[in-house]
Amino acid sequence: MHEFSICQSLVDMALNEIKKIEPAPVRVIKVIVVIGGLRQIILEQLQFAYDVLIKDTIAEGSVLEVEYIPVCGKCKECGWEGFLEVPVMLCVECGEASVDITSGKELYLKQVEIDE
Amino acid sequence: MNEKTIKVYKDLMGANAEWAQKTRDLLKKKKVVMLNLIGSPGSGKTVLLERLAKDCSDSLSFSVLEGDVETTKDAERLQKLDILASQLLTGGACHLEAKLVHYALKDLPLDELDIVFVENVGNLVCPAEFDIGEEAKIAVLSVTEGEEKPSKYPLLFNEASAVVLTKTDLLPHLNYKIGVCMEAIKDVNGSIPVFQVDALNGNGVEQWHEWIKERVRAC
Repeated sequence: MHEFSICQSLVDMALNEIKKIEPAPVRVIKVIVVIGGLRQIILEQLQFAYDVLIKDTIAEGSVLEVEYIPVCGKCKECGWEGFLEVPVMLCVECGEASVDITSGKELYLKQVEIDE
Repeated sequence: MNEKTIKVYKDLMGANAEWAQKTRDLLKKKKVVMLNLIGSPGSGKTVLLERLAKDCSDSLSFSVLEGDVETTKDAERLQKLDILASQLLTGGACHLEAKLVHYALKDLPLDELDIVFVENVGNLVCPAEFDIGEEAKIAVLSVTEGEEKPSKYPLLFNEASAVVLTKTDLLPHLNYKIGVCMEAIKDVNGSIPVFQVDALNGNGVEQWHEWIKERVRAC
């Protein structure tokens, strides 16, 4: 259910970025958001919230695209680096519980595509 | 018409993170520790705080921000034990956000407090996503919930600084394998302490209370 709250930030942020452009764009074509694999975001719910929140804005009818970032880690013991099979966050190489998460917690607006 | 791409690269949690930082600054200035208790509805979060009030009220000065969807029942329970508790009602939202917590915190007598507990809305998913400016997240898990919860909700257990495993007095009545749960916690976060407590009767709570006091001493 937090998807709605997160999507509100996304839409506000995208519309704010567009406001800065002169002359004002005709329409928004696409919004790209980046989401890490550890983020518990249900894409269907995010899309639903997006469709509701862009209604009657310049972004109405635009596409929401999600770029997924896999969960990766680096072992402090043996130096292994690579993909983690969530929920197991032990080192794939030495089995120690000493892995720093290096990616997978991302959640940001990457870009907005517009028609000028 | 010309198509144009605007690069943004801005954190979606940015506004929440700003409020969380304001809270961290305030807590640092006032030398107060804030712990964020996250667990399912009925996992025993309020009982854990009631036990702390009964056992440690002479050595710890603490307040509680109670997050719930509705009712002031939890805050009233704590007030009966002379704990200053504010009830934060989300009216349906499944988690607390940093701004609400910040304003509630400002209404507490921070100069007189060692520690503030935030009892988040009962939920293992959404509260883990939102930084509220706490020093540490504590995962509260009861033995009636099954051993696999840490694997099913990895973000919370990965972000938590400690796990409190509650209701251990019920173990004789359950087919619960503590070892399986401990392994699941180790898989997602190998470095955190796990406190096994029966807060209702006050068994096994000493180490948990000592861990809290150590946080206060280090503040």
